[in-house]
Amino acid sequence: MDSSIIRQLKKIAGKDAVLDRPEELMLYEYDAGVDKHRPGAVVFAQTTQQVSQVMKLASDKKIPVVPRGAGTGLSGGAIARREAIVLSLARMNKILEIDVPNQRAVVQPGVVNLELSNATAKYGYYYAPDPSSQKACTIGGNVSENSGGPHTLALGVTVNHVTGLEVVLPDGKVIELGGKAQDSTGLDLTGFFVGSEGTMGVVTRITVKLTKLPEHVTTLLAIYNTVEDAANTVVAITQSGVTPAALEMLDGWMVRCVEANVHAGYPEDAAAVLLIELEGMRETVNEQAEAVSAVCMQQKAREVRHAKDEKQRQLLWLGRKTAFGAVGRVSPSYYTQDGVIPRTKVPYTLAEIERISKHYGLIIGNVFHAGDGNLHPLILFDSRDPKQTENSRKAAKEIMACCLKFGGSITGEHGVGLEKMGLMTAMFTEDDLEVMVRLRNAFNPESILNPQKMIPDLHFCREITGPLPKAKFEPVAGLPA
Amino acid sequence: MSTVTSPALVDRELAAIVGEGNVKRSDFVINGVVPAAVVYPGSPEEVGAILHLANGRDLVVAPAGGLTKQQIGCVPERIDILLSTTRLNKIEEYDPGDLTIVVQAGMSFAEMQRQLGGHQQWVPCDAANLEHATIGGLLATGAAGPLKSTFGHMRDFCIGVQFVTADGKVVKGGGRVVKNVAGYDLMKLLTGSYGSLAVITRANFKVFPRPRQTRTFTCSFHSLDEALQFRTRLFQSPLTPMCMEIISPGASEYLQNQGTVHDPDDYAPELPVSLPAVEWQIVLRATGSDNVLARYARELGPAVTHTLEGAEEEQFWGWICHFEQSVLARHRNAMVLYTHLAIQNVGAALQALQRVAPDYNMIPAAVGRAATGNLVLALMPLAVDPPSAMQYANCVSAFRGLLPPGASAEVAHCPTEAKPHFDVWGTTPTDVNMMRAVKRVIDPKNILNRGRFIV
Repeated sequence: MDSSIIRQLKKIAGKDAVLDRPEELMLYEYDAGVDKHRPGAVVFAQTTQQVSQVMKLASDKKIPVVPRGAGTGLSGGAIARREAIVLSLARMNKILEIDVPNQRAVVQPGVVNLELSNATAKYGYYYAPDPSSQKACTIGGNVSENSGGPHTLALGVTVNHVTGLEVVLPDGKVIELGGKAQDSTGLDLTGFFVGSEGTMGVVTRITVKLTKLPEHVTTLLAIYNTVEDAANTVVAITQSGVTPAALEMLDGWMVRCVEANVHAGYPEDAAAVLLIELEGMRETVNEQAEAVSAVCMQQKAREVRHAKDEKQRQLLWLGRKTAFGAVGRVSPSYYTQDGVIPRTKVPYTLAEIERISKHYGLIIGNVFHAGDGNLHPLILFDSRDPKQTENSRKAAKEIMACCLKFGGSITGEHGVGLEKMGLMTAMFTEDDLEVMVRLRNAFNPESILNPQKMIPDLHFCREITGPLPKAKFEPVAGLPA
Repeated sequence: MSTVTSPALVDRELAAIVGEGNVKRSDFVINGVVPAAVVYPGSPEEVGAILHLANGRDLVVAPAGGLTKQQIGCVPERIDILLSTTRLNKIEEYDPGDLTIVVQAGMSFAEMQRQLGGHQQWVPCDAANLEHATIGGLLATGAAGPLKSTFGHMRDFCIGVQFVTADGKVVKGGGRVVKNVAGYDLMKLLTGSYGSLAVITRANFKVFPRPRQTRTFTCSFHSLDEALQFRTRLFQSPLTPMCMEIISPGASEYLQNQGTVHDPDDYAPELPVSLPAVEWQIVLRATGSDNVLARYARELGPAVTHTLEGAEEEQFWGWICHFEQSVLARHRNAMVLYTHLAIQNVGAALQALQRVAPDYNMIPAAVGRAATGNLVLALMPLAVDPPSAMQYANCVSAFRGLLPPGASAEVAHCPTEAKPHFDVWGTTPTDVNMMRAVKRVIDPKNILNRGRFIV
């Protein structure tokens, strides 16, 4: 990176807020996904004004900027190329206001998801979206990716919990979208902005809804001898009229993997388990727990266990929330998928994944949000073995093809980023994508912000945006060819 | 560059797209403007061809469904084509096990709801006029009713959308699964865009299990303050009612069956109402088993003045949903506002309404979502000394002046003559320049609903 740019960045954010030495930049070349690229510089903004100044500088010099939170994303959304600046919001980590009467909190983008819930629990409220990385991921990142989590089945994803944003546009202009009210007159740009993966603006302040802590919570663990029975139960529960707060599934391989790691109390000989959480008024929860247990038994569950106390409940969830880490212990590399299918297709799709696993001789573990039909097959491979690496991509491609065949989606909550950009044309037509590019251009006309992400570089991008910043589109590692 | 086109010529070209029988003259008036032609396309591609034609000729198009909310907005400059989606009225896909439905935009909402009802499912929207209102119209206007408290509104159930842009492209966003972050969330952008960005031709929804049993608890209070304190206690309690409405003293009159209205310009109650209407009410609708409903009764205790069930309950909620229509049926010149408020500003807005109304010869009444800040505020002109057009304008600006920062209030209905005197949409916390930038990239010639919406 040009040393005069580094000097100017230091002038804006302070000497200790800019990184440009290779050994420092190494830490910012990856996220939790598969792609890697070393950025030109990293700058840590501490105020909206600094963000605005950085954007103004970048706009003037036509330097791409990639906003970044905690770097826990799984799709390469926060990865920048050599000529780009990473704009880290991690130091903007203050909870600005907890407004209990209005059931809102106002936070800076770098606030860690779980910290907000911890800070509001004493008032009887929490922040509902709970990605598995909630101990580390930031709310700014959640807004950019429209993150989900196990508890979004009943309560919705990030977009359903954000009412206001302060956004810095690529030219440095600061705008407001929405506020503390549920909605406002005019276009719902707040809702539109959420999930835009850092391609429209940099979020510098977020107003979120706080959700009342439920009076009662129960977690059930249903244990199955076949994956098919578990999958059928998912369909049966949603049809029974009960909407659980969470409905998660782990297959037998994942169960054993998790047990070896944290001893969550899952039976190691199970073919699959369902983790079902019910919350609300005590009476409702108790009745639903009975109804759901009955459905599970009808669908040939071997056993349904109720968490006896909060400690047991937390232990059951620990297994689920640390599943990805547990896989990291047994396999040198794994490739996480995020496909979504209609719920009734869960049994069929799992059978198909099993077939793909056998065909390529790769272990594929399944741990996912069954209630939403949001699959997370983890394809295990050894990246040192080129054959395995290639097979893992082929397997991923076949799984995605299966999801799309049923009218599903390539990503339920991880985002498109770099990783799935090439798959966008399988879901959307050129016209669809062209309209998305036009809309992006309303915010980010010169593609200064997070260029070459989310929407593939089709011919029309150039026609509309004029010359793009210098970054060249390169084949993306980890993407099915 | 605009080309002068004779209406007859355009009619012929429209007929070439949709067939002779599907181009008609209009007798429908939108804020005093009569559309030059009404056209009924039978497919998204035909919508595309119509818009392509209009875009090339600089013809202004107003997308339309059941015509229930066309009067909302500013007086349009002109309308060359009223584009009705009512021939696009089929369910394309519905698998009850998936809890999703794909439906064409011109289908009546009530018709879709009946199909879902057969499987004990629903899309939890209880906006007014659902027999006539279409899926596309409800989306475009972001319509909602009391169920918004728990379920949110159309933006929260719409998981996919197909629409046609001003240049005639048939485009889609989202998909058919309940969780999906591939691409921008075009569903959020189009919900509440009042047909100013694109013509919606199809929508995909997530559907929900329909509650099996509900009960309604009416609680009355002598003052707004007491009602709001009660609301605070509810927020702090473990109770999770499905609906929570606040009703002003003046509104009761419009929440009951009424004899024939002889003259909507000069309406007065036929008989003195049985109880003096001085009470504020908070009405809760709860769902659950007998046990759960018994708990509500227990916890609410003596605050409850009436409990409603069954047909009586349905009828009551019907009145709530149709409060605005009921007001307008009796007072042609009433003004109706929709508010968007932070929860704690509900009180300030209701006080502002009560305070402002008499100064402008109007009588106030309000019904709305106490838990979300979405109120429907009505101002009825005094029959003896009706307000002038300017007084409507002054009344709105006085009311808006009393709202706390961040609140917005749009005028959904008022006499057309008053509209030129003030801004129907009012201020909003969201950056209006950004809204306009979005409008420019997607409808650069401004052919869709020109002059009607905020953009």
